[in-house]
Amino acid sequence: MFATRAQPVASVLSAGVQTRNMATLREIQLRLNSIKNIGKITKSMKMIASTKVSKAQRAMETARSYGATSAAVYKNANTVPLETESNIWVVSSSDRGLCGGIHSSVAKATRKLIAEDTAPVAGVVVLGDKAKNQMTRSNRGDIKLSFNQIGKAIPTFAEASAAADTILTSDVKFDTATIIYNKFQSAIAYEATPIKNYSIEAFKASENFTAYELDEEVLENYNEFLFANNLYWALVEGHASEMSAKRNAMENATKNAGEMVDRLTMTYNRTRQAAITSELVDIITGASAL
Amino acid sequence: MNFLARSVRAVRPVRLVRSYATEAAATGLRLTFAVPHQTIYKDASVAQVNIAAVSGDMGILASHVPSIEQLRPGVIEVLEGASSKKFFVSGGFATMNPDSSLNINAIEAFPVEDFSAETIRHNLAEAQRIATSGATEEEKLAAKIEVEVLESLQAAVNAK
Repeated sequence: MFATRAQPVASVLSAGVQTRNMATLREIQLRLNSIKNIGKITKSMKMIASTKVSKAQRAMETARSYGATSAAVYKNANTVPLETESNIWVVSSSDRGLCGGIHSSVAKATRKLIAEDTAPVAGVVVLGDKAKNQMTRSNRGDIKLSFNQIGKAIPTFAEASAAADTILTSDVKFDTATIIYNKFQSAIAYEATPIKNYSIEAFKASENFTAYELDEEVLENYNEFLFANNLYWALVEGHASEMSAKRNAMENATKNAGEMVDRLTMTYNRTRQAAITSELVDIITGASAL
Repeated sequence: MNFLARSVRAVRPVRLVRSYATEAAATGLRLTFAVPHQTIYKDASVAQVNIAAVSGDMGILASHVPSIEQLRPGVIEVLEGASSKKFFVSGGFATMNPDSSLNINAIEAFPVEDFSAETIRHNLAEAQRIATSGATEEEKLAAKIEVEVLESLQAAVNAK
């Protein structure tokens, strides 16, 4: 009577995890240990990401106001890109993984915007290895420049201006630039957003241009300065979004690991009890035969 | 009329060097002064801002003609009411917008009081040495820029 009931109990429980007929205690124990370790790792990664988020967010606020300040001129002048201008797409992401959908979000948005945009594509610049991987899948021929070593720490203005300098002095010819980055909306939400950098001609052709009095060479320097500023803004805000997404991803991973540990512990205990029960049955039938 | 003239005078600090244009319009000058790592002024209402531009020193009041000015390494003075604050900036741009808002973006800016004359003297000597006897052209050029900034900084620190 006991013998017939022991087997079905074990297999009903394991249906939720994996179909396991003769899972031994040893196997379940090994799996349990490895999932517990993974849970510890993801928990510590979540802690690290949480501390980085608050710092990154503070830097982001400053970078936002800095970038918005310098871009105010083009906003006031209502600048729009001219018809025939070629556009370069700068995809701002990072090298690191385990941060949710950050990289695929910018890549998807870039692909969509490239498809919708009528302006000729001058090329694609990727900031970060993960972004490079994503964009290589779809626009391999367009990628002109790629940068790495991005995302380890909060981006500094020096890094952004070095990147801007490299892009501007490279062989890539372009009139306008669009930087795609992940805009930080809240602790759980981010969205891929473009920042447009206009060319000098487009600025001169804009509505309120005549309101401003300035020198020609100042305008050129200002445009380059603006490009570096926008790049800095995109990098810092992208970093903040990434840290927040990593925190969320690690939190989910820890929660899932915890659930798996609970389920496996149940299975382990049931299997252990079943083993004890069958031993008892052996002993009792042996004793009753005497 | 005498009473009016006196009350207007009380708002502005008395200066010997420059004479002011007419007092600001009703909206006033709104200043946003930002560096990458810090927002020094955010949409603050100020009376006047003196900037060191490549094209010359200028004082910006409300309703100034909209323009974009490149800043040279020098002092930016913000006059709000009776007090004035001086910042040394390494470079950047100042844009005056039609809506009477002044945006200044500088790469680095610090209050002039925070600088130590000793360190400036030391760094200046070092930079001058590299400018004359540096290894590569690039090094010499970078050192020349450093000398220019430090000389301007020294003048600013000694002037106060």
